[in-house]
Amino acid sequence: MAHQKAQGRLVSWDFGDFAVAAAQNGRLMAMAFGDGSIRLFDSETPDAAPTVVSAHKGACLALAADIEKGGFLSGGDDGKFLKIAAVGTVETLWEGKGKWVEHVTAHDGAGVRVFSVGKVATILNKKGEMRELTHASTVGGLAINLKGKRLAVSHYNGVSLWWLASAAAASVLEWRGSHLQPLWSADGDYLITAMQESALHGWRLSDGEHMRMTGYPSKVRNIAFTRRGHHLATTGSDSVICWPFSGSGPMGKAPVEFGTVGEGIFVSYVAANPKLDIVAAGYEDGSVLVGQPGSANTIGIIDASGSPISCMAWNPDGDRLLIGNEAGAVHFADFRG
Amino acid sequence: MADVHQIPVTVLTGYLGAGKTTLLNRVLTENHGKKYAVIVNEFGEIGIDNDLVVGADEEVFEMNNGCICCTVRGDLIRIIAGLLKRRDKFDAILVETTGLADPAPVAQTFFTDEDVRRKTKLDSIVTVVDAKHVEQRLADSGEAKEQIAFADVILINKTDLVDAETLRNVEARVRGLNPFATIYHTARADIDLDKILDRGAFDLARILEHDPCFLHGHAFDPTHDHGHDHGHDHGHDHAHEHHDHAHDHGHDHGHDHHHDAVNPVHDAEIRSISLLAETPLNEQKFDTWINDVLRTKGQDLLRAKGILNMAGKDDRFVFQAVHMVSEGNYTGAWPSKDKRKSRLVFIGRKIDPKVEAELKAGFEACVA
Ligand SMILES: [Zn+2]
Ligand SMILES: [Zn+2]
Repeated sequence: MAHQKAQGRLVSWDFGDFAVAAAQNGRLMAMAFGDGSIRLFDSETPDAAPTVVSAHKGACLALAADIEKGGFLSGGDDGKFLKIAAVGTVETLWEGKGKWVEHVTAHDGAGVRVFSVGKVATILNKKGEMRELTHASTVGGLAINLKGKRLAVSHYNGVSLWWLASAAAASVLEWRGSHLQPLWSADGDYLITAMQESALHGWRLSDGEHMRMTGYPSKVRNIAFTRRGHHLATTGSDSVICWPFSGSGPMGKAPVEFGTVGEGIFVSYVAANPKLDIVAAGYEDGSVLVGQPGSANTIGIIDASGSPISCMAWNPDGDRLLIGNEAGAVHFADFRG
Repeated sequence: MADVHQIPVTVLTGYLGAGKTTLLNRVLTENHGKKYAVIVNEFGEIGIDNDLVVGADEEVFEMNNGCICCTVRGDLIRIIAGLLKRRDKFDAILVETTGLADPAPVAQTFFTDEDVRRKTKLDSIVTVVDAKHVEQRLADSGEAKEQIAFADVILINKTDLVDAETLRNVEARVRGLNPFATIYHTARADIDLDKILDRGAFDLARILEHDPCFLHGHAFDPTHDHGHDHGHDHGHDHAHEHHDHAHDHGHDHGHDHHHDAVNPVHDAEIRSISLLAETPLNEQKFDTWINDVLRTKGQDLLRAKGILNMAGKDDRFVFQAVHMVSEGNYTGAWPSKDKRKSRLVFIGRKIDPKVEAELKAGFEACVA
């Protein structure tokens, strides 16, 4: 398939370490690496070298935007849950010797930061109070709904839904198997998980109705809702599989797809644009393109490099895209004017 | 796509007190020129502060269909994915299991999860048994039996605590459960680490070609009388010599005995068979047949391993399975023309003469 060539500029670096995760918090964007560093990028000046923050002693495992403007949260295999301020200063919010902080998230409206270590997810409020939520098995992922009311914690055999502001016990959405990344639909009506076994599972929260999304030839590494939640874009196949969630909801509808770079070359990361109904897709061969669910037209952003794309993030205006791969090659694509 | 370097993984099994911890400490402290990431289940036992030592919690997950034998270790998938992101790269991974662990979920993890499978390769399963207590353990624990049946390498440890006759009985018992593993005798887990780490045991050529019984292609039938001597030494080191197939394996069994000959004492429950085909196999036929075997008998089959001569291919096809989960790859050229034979072994339960005959006929029907 022929791709259109992207308009705009591409700034590239080679940092040499596994790019673990990318995030944005307003003008500032961040990428976390396997050497424990976090780099802060100013999206207004994509050409400028990023600020390097020595964050973790081992590898960074997780990254998210903090509740404070321009700040980020990170978890590492040194057992630390860190707050990285916009100016690059590091504050340790929690530390557990011999532990791994595997997942982090936050919600500015609710004023909470959340991290997980093994089976325990901990909610940290602005006053510094901690609330530990223990699960029957290791936490596979964390997600707070858009309104900032509920926390979804995925694990083996289901997802626990907690109220951020109430001490009530979790309600558990059950489904056999190991649940990894959880994701809320924009309206909060559905919760979806990517599973260990090359499938997605979803629940309609109003009635607990199950959705099974299968047919993937490979493990689904990440999933993302397009702007306004019309489509759920997913990795795990050699094109971006997009499940429709608009209108009457997703039940019983077939997915649409876009973006193939070669047979058997799987999509390894998807990032939905915040302003347009488009999705950036990264592939196992290192290439990246941008496309639209169900459309044959795609725009090539970077060519194959051999190393899988491991993380991407759009800026809030949706006109700059930060891309990282497993070998530490980082690209900043600037689509402005 | 670019080739991914696969990091070798050694799985260390054995019950508490057999000598696993001694071995782990040696791997972590000795100057063997390799950097190991070690995944342990009892963090406290290792008295070493090393950030490449990671505690695991043995979370066994069922995969899809809910079949009881199709399980993986969820914690290992996470830990290995995490380790692979690190900058201070390591050369190999060692996974310790608890004494009561079924080795299958550990092994299956390396064939099942795509990220783990792409970036690591299961090098060998090493089982440590305690010469003094193994009989008792075998009598009261199914896991002890499985750990021996699963192994590529077995260390009969604490040999200084038993007399020669006991040791001979222990070895006979171990051999009966697993005729294909390489066995070493040690007193305080004092073995050259090269013999158990990164030895390419899953490149089966070495094991198979060093097992004279394997070459005979006969079944290890408890009733069948082994007229020849099983005491040939599997202890000599071929770990880093690729020329070694040049020396004589003419089944005279006369080379380098450093321990006494034993006749295997076969287990009533776990049995092994080995199959041999001189004619090249049709890959499609083999694929169909083995998938059917694993689907229907996989729950009872602990392990299957094979090195196969596929028609029209220059390279050896190396196959292995744990229960229903399998993996097969072309792994380089045959050492020499005259060794191009297909060999396949099964270790498992319920391999009665009828099943054995079925497997044999099925395998033989795969010829091109
Ligand atoms: Zn099974
Ligand atoms: Zn024999």
